[in-house]
Amino acid sequence: MPDGPSKSRDRDRDADLAAIDALIDRLVPALTAKLGASHLGELEVREGDWKIRLRRPATAGSWNGEARRATDRAGRSAAGASGSPAHDPHRVATPASSNGATPGGGHAGHTSGTAGRPSHEHETRRVATSPAVGVFRPNARATVGTRVREGDALGHIDVLGVREDVLAPADGLVGELLTDAGNAVEYGQELLVIAVAAPAGAA
Amino acid sequence: MFRRVLIANRGEIALRILRACRTMGIEAVVAYSEADRESLPVQLADEAICIGPADAKRSYLSAPALISAAVITGCDAVHPGYGFLSEDETFAEVVRAHDLTFIGPSADVLDKFASKEGTRRLLGSHGLPTIPGSDGMLRDDAHALDEADRIGYPVLIKPSAGGGGKGMRMVRTPRELESAIKICRSEAKSAFGDDSLYLEKWLDDNRHVEVQVAIDRFGRGIHLGERDCSVQRRHQKILEEGPTPALGPAARADLAERAVRAVVAAGYENVGTLEFLVDRDGNPYFIEINCRIQVEHPVTELLTGVDMVALQMRIAAGEPLPLTQSDITLEGHAIEFRINAEDPEHDFRPGAGVVTRYHAPGGPGVRMDSHLYEGYEVPPFYDSLLGKLVVWAPDRATAIARGKAALDELLVEGLTTNIEIHKALLANEAFLDGKMTTNLLDRVGSAAFLAAAARA
Repeated sequence: MPDGPSKSRDRDRDADLAAIDALIDRLVPALTAKLGASHLGELEVREGDWKIRLRRPATAGSWNGEARRATDRAGRSAAGASGSPAHDPHRVATPASSNGATPGGGHAGHTSGTAGRPSHEHETRRVATSPAVGVFRPNARATVGTRVREGDALGHIDVLGVREDVLAPADGLVGELLTDAGNAVEYGQELLVIAVAAPAGAA
Repeated sequence: MFRRVLIANRGEIALRILRACRTMGIEAVVAYSEADRESLPVQLADEAICIGPADAKRSYLSAPALISAAVITGCDAVHPGYGFLSEDETFAEVVRAHDLTFIGPSADVLDKFASKEGTRRLLGSHGLPTIPGSDGMLRDDAHALDEADRIGYPVLIKPSAGGGGKGMRMVRTPRELESAIKICRSEAKSAFGDDSLYLEKWLDDNRHVEVQVAIDRFGRGIHLGERDCSVQRRHQKILEEGPTPALGPAARADLAERAVRAVVAAGYENVGTLEFLVDRDGNPYFIEINCRIQVEHPVTELLTGVDMVALQMRIAAGEPLPLTQSDITLEGHAIEFRINAEDPEHDFRPGAGVVTRYHAPGGPGVRMDSHLYEGYEVPPFYDSLLGKLVVWAPDRATAIARGKAALDELLVEGLTTNIEIHKALLANEAFLDGKMTTNLLDRVGSAAFLAAAARA
């Protein structure tokens, strides 16, 4: 075995990290501006052994797509199960997974100023998600057009007979129900939309 | 047989159970936490269902979340894997109360074997030699000091619940005992919610040998040979092999037969593992039983050709054992290397991160059980096991040669792994001579161990 292979790997790694830092400081701000001004989805620059690729936040990464297919398939097989409520195949795409780096992509896209909410259209729309895995039981408040306050219970998830409240994430009006009463839901699943009340002073 | 099984676990064992389900024509539903959304078992499952956040207490350790998931996805059984709730008798009981089958022993059996100290006494009464230890649980420090004096130092402080080396310390003096016992109590309390401790005589230079058994509902039992798990670091197994180099064929057969006779007599059911310490003179002492499928079960699978997970499911479904003792033949030699995301050069600090490159080795007698894929992000919330490389050959020397070749071929980039420590082990004289003891790695120190291998 060669002498101290891991030590020299450590040194290489430190050198690599320094080079990456330098590239990011120098290149990323300029490239981000270019990408922002263009209609391109992706921009790649090569320099020596290095390449930098910037990508706009994708709507869904490829692996996320795989996962969704897995549950779609699941949804069908669950629907065939006798006596058990159909498991709603809808799956929440969290910002974390939809912004996820793709393998080997030298991903630097999340430095490009789009951190936080993925897009402006979501700002007036908040979604109440499931606090548990169980059966969705909306209450009378969970009807379209009802005015609710942040923290109001919109129903509950029945977890083996124990209730876990579904809470309104913001003040606003109840919009669309994303799954039906009595459906089986998983943890974090989107249940209903709240149209957020306009802040004071806004038109 | 079951129609649809909820896999209440993650990582390589979730994948292993899923594969067993596939070969048996059973649908597999994988329960996962938010941190495991992109994991391989979730991708491959017939259905995947998110049961909670990354925090295991609210997902993999939450009985209501797991059982609710099993009920709403129409499962008829729950496989707990290892760790998490695999030996929790309350969980087993609640699973059954919801008309689901717990793939493991019944709550009664789990309860009977829940206390390690009680189990030692029970199986001792059925003819297994046991290690001298404290009379029951330690009531307080004074009781501990008295008992340690009676047994004779060094002694090992052990928690009654759990495993994996938590809450466990070896002490050589009353002074060490007094300070270690507080640490053990708090470790045991936080890891298992139970701080009861007991003492065991510590055997210097002992070997860890364990017998694999399978017992059906009708009280018919077989053994599937033994495994040697003497390569440990701070009571954590790193490498396992079978047959054990510590005992000859007659002693191995005798130990395995006594083990299966004792557990059948004591009313055990399920697959199970009886752990023994073997002293310098080859005397075995029973220490504990694991009522679950174990991490190192592939060693037995390669030696016997029996699918242990499938066998466990058949037993849980109430089928009689499909095999008799005479059907079991142990052939050749097998070695398992636990590949962990931890840094041997920095005190085995656990790591997490994205796997940028991954290549699993192949060839005759080489098996890789791993949930890794390129681009997979190893979450920081759970144990550091990335997979198990298992090799088989007609004899130990060839198995070691295959192990070396396979470790050289194995590629995991993006995070630091313990692959180097395995390579060092296969170059170590004590290991090559079959003379590893459970304390050797800690006594020498991992750094010195790696350095010695680099010089060799």
